[in-house]
Amino acid sequence: MTDPRRYFDDIQVGEEYESPGRTVTEADIVLFAGLSGDYNVLHTDAEFMKQSIFGERIAHGLLGLAIQAGLFTRATQAYATLAFVGLRWKFKGPIKIGDTIRLRAKVAAKKEISKPDRGLVTVERTVVNQRGEVVQEGETDLIVERRR
Amino acid sequence: MTVTETHVALYGGLTGDGAREHGLVPDLLPLCLTTGLGWRVPQPPLAVMAFMGFEWVVDAPLRVGDTIHSRSKTTLKRSMKEGGVIVEERQVINQRGEVVQHGKFTFLVAKRPASA
Repeated sequence: MTDPRRYFDDIQVGEEYESPGRTVTEADIVLFAGLSGDYNVLHTDAEFMKQSIFGERIAHGLLGLAIQAGLFTRATQAYATLAFVGLRWKFKGPIKIGDTIRLRAKVAAKKEISKPDRGLVTVERTVVNQRGEVVQEGETDLIVERRR
Repeated sequence: MTVTETHVALYGGLTGDGAREHGLVPDLLPLCLTTGLGWRVPQPPLAVMAFMGFEWVVDAPLRVGDTIHSRSKTTLKRSMKEGGVIVEERQVINQRGEVVQHGKFTFLVAKRPASA
């Protein structure tokens, strides 16, 4: 069976991917609050949030981040990732209940590292809502295996 | 808190994100759990108006069954017209005292309302 994963050698700088959409529901937010223990009123108190600048509960920023990580796996073939080394991330706008988000990703850089059997791939990521507004954006660094 | 198979399964179902291999914890899950851990310190939580951004480094993999805690330090505070910016450094530490993930968070925090 051929290995369906994409190796460091296969990935080209400038490649772009777009994921399917994903509607973020109240259930997602309630589950994420329960899983993470983050019960901040921003995410859990509908009455309090009516008075806020958002007008309603918003999704946890890290829920949006985690959902885009899941969407990445649906946007492209899996990388032969050996390690996730880090990320830099900005929250630009709220994700509200019922919003549909998708991920746009682009390979920004490839770098050799000290170990010859692997390399560093930096992916620029933008999370957009149904109106095309950027709600989150950032860069992730992955260590990806080379073909032998 | 001990990170279990249940956390991994719930997180996977909710987000569609998973670990690279069985027995490992997905890399973003410990990060997600630190916010909740921060709620269990005696000090009341920050009056966060918005989470502006963060930088995060994964130092070592975490395995199912490992027990983590988190340590935070406020490193910068800047007052603005509406609220202020707080930068917090945070570490996730395993049962052997090893830092498995660490980074820096930037929050917009409300000012105490003038008492009536």
